[in-house]
Amino acid sequence: MTFETTTYNSSDGFVVTSAADATAIAARALRRTFKDGIEAVRDIDLTVSAGEVFGFLGPNGAGKTTTVRMLCTLLPPTSGRATVAGLDVVENGAEVRRRIGVALQEIGLDPVQTGRELLELQCGLYGIAGQAARSRAAELLDLVGLSEAADRRTKTYSGGMKRRLDLASALVHSPDVLFLDEPTTGLDPASRLTIWDEVRRINAGGATVFLTTQYLEEADQLCDRLAIIDNGRIVAEGTPEQLKAEMGHDVVSVTVEGADVAATEAALSGLPGLERVVAEPGGLALYVDDGAGSIAEIVRRLERDDIRAGAISVARPSLDDVFLRATGRRLEGQESSGRDAEVTHE
Amino acid sequence: MSEVLLLGRRATREIVRYPEATIPTLFIPLFFLVVNIGQVSKTFPSSTPFLNGQGYVAFQLPVSLMFAVATATSGLALVTEIDLGYFDKLLVAPIRRSSIIFGRLTADLVRGVASSTLVLLVGIALGARIETGIAGALVIVALAAGFGVAYAGFGLLVALKTRNVQATQSSFLLFFPLLFLTPNFVPFNRLSPLMETLARINPVSYVIVGMRGLIIDGWNFGQIAVAVLVIVGLGAILTGLSLRVIATYDR
Repeated sequence: MTFETTTYNSSDGFVVTSAADATAIAARALRRTFKDGIEAVRDIDLTVSAGEVFGFLGPNGAGKTTTVRMLCTLLPPTSGRATVAGLDVVENGAEVRRRIGVALQEIGLDPVQTGRELLELQCGLYGIAGQAARSRAAELLDLVGLSEAADRRTKTYSGGMKRRLDLASALVHSPDVLFLDEPTTGLDPASRLTIWDEVRRINAGGATVFLTTQYLEEADQLCDRLAIIDNGRIVAEGTPEQLKAEMGHDVVSVTVEGADVAATEAALSGLPGLERVVAEPGGLALYVDDGAGSIAEIVRRLERDDIRAGAISVARPSLDDVFLRATGRRLEGQESSGRDAEVTHE
Repeated sequence: MSEVLLLGRRATREIVRYPEATIPTLFIPLFFLVVNIGQVSKTFPSSTPFLNGQGYVAFQLPVSLMFAVATATSGLALVTEIDLGYFDKLLVAPIRRSSIIFGRLTADLVRGVASSTLVLLVGIALGARIETGIAGALVIVALAAGFGVAYAGFGLLVALKTRNVQATQSSFLLFFPLLFLTPNFVPFNRLSPLMETLARINPVSYVIVGMRGLIIDGWNFGQIAVAVLVIVGLGAILTGLSLRVIATYDR
């Protein structure tokens, strides 16, 4: 089966792309096993339409970076196939590189060069020379708000400035597809918002954006669609709204103070309208039809079995709940995407 | 080609902006030059036959030139780049991977010319006389810089293979035996039989002999040709291996 044909293969659900169609990224059974036997990415399938902001959400070590490196031609897949901008990443690597912009998790800046020198060099590497390179560099420096710092060496830049310059350097050739690997990790909230604005602007300009993140809020705010990756596998995929809607109903969080979680779970089993119970650190998440209406019954049952509950709260499902259902645990290190915040939003 | 020039210009800028990376590589050869001359100038007065009427500085100068140009600086710059992630940025750009290697070697050529010119001028200031004149001096600088470029391939190879800063840094130490198993203090025929055998099979010896001939004895095109052959051979092997490793890097 050749990969770079322009046919649409509906039988296996895999879109084989051409430059003319609307698929920006497609992967089928993409796998990467490292020499030490670690299966970083296990047979993932995904399709990203042109013009989308597609998010890859997962904890550290889930396989996000390995996937990005395969799609960017930096790492060959062990098996499976992928196309970017309609081109096979293995067979047409050079052409893929011409079409994509990449800002990897490790900020790729040369500390000895100034921001302007770095962008002008980057232009040169993409075949933009002379005055055109100088203009493009100046334009991008202005776009990411670094005009004043343009002639300082990048080693003097703050983390946020480095990220913005790295982002600018991925844009010199106006790529069709932009890969951003954890573009806001380690940034303060203000810098994060700036990067979000940049991503929205780049996307509005027509570029497809594939971004990885471990921040639920980022996925929720930025992405048209997202996939949750855990342990090298895609465990959920859809728009943030779809994913949350699939969770159904309300989530009641019960914090258990010193009581046995198993006993609490037993006490609450058979609760009217209960769909699912998920144990989490220090308590339980109950997925119920009517959250508010269930509280009285929950309290009654806990008192009946002499179980001391701490806090009981009700919320609409968040992406964190989606993550919890898909992976059996919460995404660690979250800052501001708990359910309470979700209630405020909705 | 323009990619090589762009990357070469960047690497050269790095040399100018990081003088602390180059100064130690010049300090060592100049230090050895002064100390060695000081220690043995009475043992080898200018009447010594192999000095052809010159001071010992003329005999030692090629060794210092070799020390000045044989550095792991490019390898270190590359491994630092790998460490920082900029190397990935270059790999994902639509350029030939070989340009990354040739860009680094371009800077080695510039550094080699500058360093060997400086060491040569210090040697002249200390009393050495270039028997072959300015033309000979230019050939000496070309040979030294060429050797620097050829040798740089070793640092690049270690950087790409190990991706480890410490390993790349200490790779420079491997050059010491190569430089000392040569007629560095006395000619071949004054070495012990074992040392002479080792020195004669060490290709680095012939680069030293070629440069030394130009300083002390005059034009000897046979010696120069052998030196060029060694440099080109060494460069072809080390650069060729680096190109192969970078072509298959993470592939």
